[in-house]
Amino acid sequence: MRSPIRIVFEQRNETAKHLSVLVPLLSVVAALVAGALFLLATGYSPIETYSNMLSDGFTSSRGMTDTLGLSTVLICTGISAAFAFQMNLYNIGGEGQLYLGMIGGAWAGLALGDQLPTFVMIPVVLLVGSLAGASWILLPAFVRSRLGTSEIVTTLLLTYIAASLVKHFVYTPGSFFVTKNSAFPQGRLVPDSASLSGIGDTSLYPTFFLVILIALALFWVVKKTEYGYRIQVISDSPRAAHYAGINANRTTMSVMLISGALSGLGGAVLIVGPFGRLDPGIILLGYGYAGIVIAALARNNFSAIIVSGILFAGLRSGGDKLQISTDTPIHIGVMLQGAILLFALGGEAFRRYHIHAVRTERATQ
Amino acid sequence: MTNASHEVAKGPHHASGAAPSALSAYSLVKRFPGVLANNSVDFDVLPGEVHTLLGENGAGKSTLAAMLCGLYQPDSGHITRNGERIALSSPRAGLQHGIAMVHQHFRLVERFTVAENVILGSRDLSYKLNRSELEDKVAAVAESYGLPIDPGATVADLSVGQRQRVEIVKALYQGAEILLLDEPTAVLVPAEVEKLFENVHAMTQAGKSIVFISHKLGEVVEISDRVTVLRNGRVTGHVSGRGTTDTKELARLMVGRDIELTTQRASHATGHEILQIRDLSLTVGGVSVLSDISFNVHAGEMVGIAGVAGNGQRELADTIAGLISPTSGSIAISGSMTTDRGPIHARELGLAYVPEDRLGMGLVPSMSILDNLLLTRDRRVVVDRTTVRPEATRLIEQFEIKANGPDHMARKLSGGNAQKVLLARELSGGRTATKLLVVCSPTRGLDVGAIETVRALLDDARSAGQAILLISEDLDEVMSLSDRIFVLYRGSVVHETPGESAELATVGAAMAGLTPEDKS
Ligand SMILES: Nc1ncnc2c1ncn2[C@@H]1O[C@H](COP(=O)(O)OP(=O)(O)OP(=O)(O)O)[C@@H](O)[C@H]1O
Ligand SMILES: [Mg+2]
Repeated sequence: MRSPIRIVFEQRNETAKHLSVLVPLLSVVAALVAGALFLLATGYSPIETYSNMLSDGFTSSRGMTDTLGLSTVLICTGISAAFAFQMNLYNIGGEGQLYLGMIGGAWAGLALGDQLPTFVMIPVVLLVGSLAGASWILLPAFVRSRLGTSEIVTTLLLTYIAASLVKHFVYTPGSFFVTKNSAFPQGRLVPDSASLSGIGDTSLYPTFFLVILIALALFWVVKKTEYGYRIQVISDSPRAAHYAGINANRTTMSVMLISGALSGLGGAVLIVGPFGRLDPGIILLGYGYAGIVIAALARNNFSAIIVSGILFAGLRSGGDKLQISTDTPIHIGVMLQGAILLFALGGEAFRRYHIHAVRTERATQ
Repeated sequence: MTNASHEVAKGPHHASGAAPSALSAYSLVKRFPGVLANNSVDFDVLPGEVHTLLGENGAGKSTLAAMLCGLYQPDSGHITRNGERIALSSPRAGLQHGIAMVHQHFRLVERFTVAENVILGSRDLSYKLNRSELEDKVAAVAESYGLPIDPGATVADLSVGQRQRVEIVKALYQGAEILLLDEPTAVLVPAEVEKLFENVHAMTQAGKSIVFISHKLGEVVEISDRVTVLRNGRVTGHVSGRGTTDTKELARLMVGRDIELTTQRASHATGHEILQIRDLSLTVGGVSVLSDISFNVHAGEMVGIAGVAGNGQRELADTIAGLISPTSGSIAISGSMTTDRGPIHARELGLAYVPEDRLGMGLVPSMSILDNLLLTRDRRVVVDRTTVRPEATRLIEQFEIKANGPDHMARKLSGGNAQKVLLARELSGGRTATKLLVVCSPTRGLDVGAIETVRALLDDARSAGQAILLISEDLDEVMSLSDRIFVLYRGSVVHETPGESAELATVGAAMAGLTPEDKS
């Protein structure tokens, strides 16, 4: 007697360790396969496209330094997202906080650049950018911790406002941020004292190493310190936190502020590095949103974010170069990013559940 | 079909070869990382029978029940229902076969109402819920089984005892033929237990089957038709026939030695006042929860608070622990006011607190035993786990906690072992030497051997001069341990008596709100 087969989701008692690595890897592979199907359907050669991306993104030396350079900002927004996500705080406004980081960093560079030496200016620009990023999440953090208002809506709304701010500062004639009497509106370059040069004339800047250090430090903070312990208690059991006298409001507030600061740092990194000026072009790049995907793929693990950040940077920079070099769809990199997010989220189901097919009726003897 | 009956005949411990059992398990094996929770277990239950599972904490009772209801899948072995082999791939599949389980750890949605929780998971829900109709229906089912409950109440506001009742009503509402009750009476007061047992009788009369799990041996003797004893995942004993055994024998079967649960009282004169409560009142959302409570607890004294769940015990304990600010009145520990100063302040003055809800409040489920031991301690800026590790190992040994070591996640402990972790932490001193110990239902869910250990530890603490406030719905426990007893009814102390001369009838009547004017 045949009977319909049903798919059953059985919660795993023990989430297998190897799946934590396997699932993200497979979601990347699945996204590449989906991308290949899309390329085929639209008449391009997936093999040619991917091999071009691979060499432009990773295997050529130019490609590799470009990738690492781009990963600097992506790791920032990745750890920013993860730092909030780990406490079930969904800061999806990293994009806007990144803009503020750029505004703050550019302001500091332009206002103080002539008076201070480089070794002071770089930290100042990075710090002011971080503070500006944090300021952009202050309101969402406050209403979330005091009134429980969803941070998802507030942080997203503020991103739109931040985008308008960037445009305002660049397109308003006579703005502090733009070159005076220039024919077309463009941000003013920060003075030399506030900018770094790429290592060996590449697009990889020393800030990359700083960001790696910060990611590793956060990894340590979460695993080993009292602060990380508190975050873990609150995210798992708010009642146990209350019982133990852990102030959840204050921790919520500080976690969100740090998250905002990390995205802001990403913006400031662009000022001392590749951009050197407040550039409205940032609005189209979506580095802040990419951070959400990077964090999700790394399952909020700070050391894994270094890896997924570099991977994404490779996809993006490889994909972006395609539009210049070959006749391929220009947004394949961004498309793959979206596909990876979808597959990574879907893959969670495999990690959490044992999925198998069963026959619905009683087994016959 | 012929094959099926053949298999039944193969079942090693089957009461009679004639009728197929309602539910049978053959050689079930379930392994968790590092533990063989069920090691080739055979089990069956007949129609109209109460079959009890007995065993120490961590013996594998809940695991077995979880496999019988479809929550866990056995690694090997199989299950039959009325002689036919069935595959239970999920609790829903279990329900389709008329098997429902009331779990030891509640599986309710706190933000939902009672009625919403009860109907949760029912397949035949209409698209639009008619709230009042639904609540009436749930109330009717609850009432018909003598388990009155307000269907419109939010679960978050309910006491543990009331939540347990919701779980039972839920299983009954879903039309279970075989009901697996995992320590249902742990959180019920005697009157409620009696009612539950009446229901159990009514259900077995109607041909339904009950698998019962309890550590309360008196109950087991009273209710069981058969008893199967588990030990370290194996079946180690059987008792058949109602009334053929007594609690002593069961205890021996379970732990392999005799258990003496003796009455202990303060052995020496009590010292100065440690806990002082003055005119304490608490109003929550316009409802008076505690009113005008005043009493002291002295060093070396154990004061017991008796009462039916939901009469203000939880709030009283939380207020003393600094988790709730009272509406009026004051609390002092060792002469220092703690009112409005928060839980850490109270702990710094020497408070230790075992709350009622262990996995919900006292422990962090996703953290290890080690990290849970750190929850109420001073953790420094960088958490120092290396120096606490040996202590964790020692406590695991002392409390006989069945675990893979200090890194075992709290969520993955058996119910009794989770309770032991909580007790181990609170009884072993924290920030400062403990002066005041507030314990809620400390031995709930513990096996008799562990109860003996914990009672001895409480007695040691008292002898060492700690002041102990014992809040428990287990009247036996309060009566046999306390030096003084207060009865809490609707947030007021309605009766006070010295422990030695306490009378069960009087205390019981006071708990029910029938107060003869005899405050002496
Ligand atoms: N999800 C799990 N993951 C790992 N180990 C588990 C899990 N559930 C139970 N165990 C282990 O399996 C053993 C049996 O647990 P079980 O819950 O069946 O015990 P029990 O007999 O119900 O005990 P108690 O009386 O304390 O409730 C214990 O050693 C426990 O630590
Ligand atoms: Mg159990």
